[in-house]
Amino acid sequence: MRMDRSDNESQNIFFFPWLKAWEASSGHIGKFPAIGPSREKTEKLMKGHPLYSNLYSVWMDSVSDFANISLEAMKRMNDKTSLMDGQNNPDKYKEIYNNWIETYSDTFKEFLRSAHFSGDMGKFMSCLIEAGKYNREMLEENFLKPMNLPTSTDIDEINRELYSLKKTVKELNRKINELSQGK
Amino acid sequence: MSFMIQKNMNEPDLIRETFIKYKKGSEIISELTEISVGVTPHEIVYSEDKMKLLHYKTTVKNPCPVPVLMVYALVNRYYILDLSPDKSIIKNLLDRGFDVYAIDWGYPSGMDRYLTIDDYVNGYLNNAVDHVRNKSGTDKISLLGVCVGGTLSVMFAALHPEKVKNLISFVAPIDFATDKSPLNIWAKEMDVDKIVDYYGIIPGDFLNMGFLLLDPFRLLIDKYVGFFEHIDDKKTVENFLRMEKWIFDSPGQAGEAYRQFMKDCYQENLLIKNRMEIGGKRINLKEISMPFLNIMAEFDHLVPNESSLPLTEAISSTDKESMVFPTGHIGMFVGSKSQNEVCPNIAQWLKPRSYAQKDKTKIGVKKTKKNHHKQKESMNES
Repeated sequence: MRMDRSDNESQNIFFFPWLKAWEASSGHIGKFPAIGPSREKTEKLMKGHPLYSNLYSVWMDSVSDFANISLEAMKRMNDKTSLMDGQNNPDKYKEIYNNWIETYSDTFKEFLRSAHFSGDMGKFMSCLIEAGKYNREMLEENFLKPMNLPTSTDIDEINRELYSLKKTVKELNRKINELSQGK
Repeated sequence: MSFMIQKNMNEPDLIRETFIKYKKGSEIISELTEISVGVTPHEIVYSEDKMKLLHYKTTVKNPCPVPVLMVYALVNRYYILDLSPDKSIIKNLLDRGFDVYAIDWGYPSGMDRYLTIDDYVNGYLNNAVDHVRNKSGTDKISLLGVCVGGTLSVMFAALHPEKVKNLISFVAPIDFATDKSPLNIWAKEMDVDKIVDYYGIIPGDFLNMGFLLLDPFRLLIDKYVGFFEHIDDKKTVENFLRMEKWIFDSPGQAGEAYRQFMKDCYQENLLIKNRMEIGGKRINLKEISMPFLNIMAEFDHLVPNESSLPLTEAISSTDKESMVFPTGHIGMFVGSKSQNEVCPNIAQWLKPRSYAQKDKTKIGVKKTKKNHHKQKESMNES
């Protein structure tokens, strides 16, 4: 199973026989009242697998990119320090530091403005948000709804309504002012 | 005194000097009770939801009759324009005889996530402008838009030219086609809808992370090393902490406004093409015909000159000028050039244009269109 090509279907094929066997046996015992029937809980949890796999995959791509660029910066720094004479005294500390910061800063800036980094960051953000959204949905559905607490969707609806009402009130106020000024 | 570069110093000396320096620095920091910013005297003359309109106390007897409204960006806080008495664009303009107002956009909360650019430009900004016009008794005011506040001011001036006497765009992005800034490159790869739908209010830290990524080694390491090198100097410590306070004082962004700005400006570049619409109205930059000053920073890593300069050509004003100063984006607000070069040049340009319409012919409005490169050269020479 390749992490970067994971999808729900292949996982379902793999896990479902095990899930059904568990539900028919010890799954009867280990139920969690706050999070609904265990079957639904497991199915929902499984929907998160591809999201986390994708996130892990793009995260690893980023780690690999940053490792490579760190190596490149290290090589460039090594080239510079090899040109410095061998004196080891405090006078040189600042010079070495300045060289280090300049080399690393330039190398990373070069990388960070590349299309490669930009594309990877876009993918990473996208996967991070999808996983975050899934987490939030799970939390809302499994904890907030059973406890009759408002979810972010409920609050957003109220906010939208408030925004709309405020806009209407402002518009009405504007019209009243215009009428009172005899415009 | 810089402990790292003193000649002929051995390791024990270095350690002793460093210890003494840090001890003094610790004492300075522990004595500081509050980091004061935005201290120029002012009063809040109008507020609407989170937005506040500040009116600064004039420092001359007869200020220019046409007031200046400073519109800062939605990102970070307006008080960078008034960071400390000796680093204050606002105080500098007051002392040069202007009647200055500024908008504080405040911190959007959950219920502001549906605010659009239309709400900001045709709502808050329009109402603030009307309030300034009423209070000062003038039909038109001078608008000085800073960074993204400049972009909003340009939109406003195009939609309400009858209310703007002079327009100053201060390091404002208008043409987003350039790839000179990593922000422009990154923005094109972002799934904006996904981000806005998830966050609602885009966290300030999310944006800050992007700014820090522009040069992580300088902004996350070297800046602090530099600070520790001068930690025994009280003034340096105070200024550093003021800047740190401003940098990390990042309000969230109203989701819908952010969505439209990122898509229409950064991704589609509609504003400079005169194809952007807000509130059902198309923004035509040719509607801008008032005197116009375009101010840019030569080493701006956030808003490259290529992003600001095309505006000078895109508008129909005949009295227009571009100025490029040899500094960076932040240097335009708090660097020495800000007080010694930027402010005097703004005042010199704005003052003759800050009188009522009837006085216009008397003072003689200079109708120039300077080549910005020539301007840049002359600034460098000076």
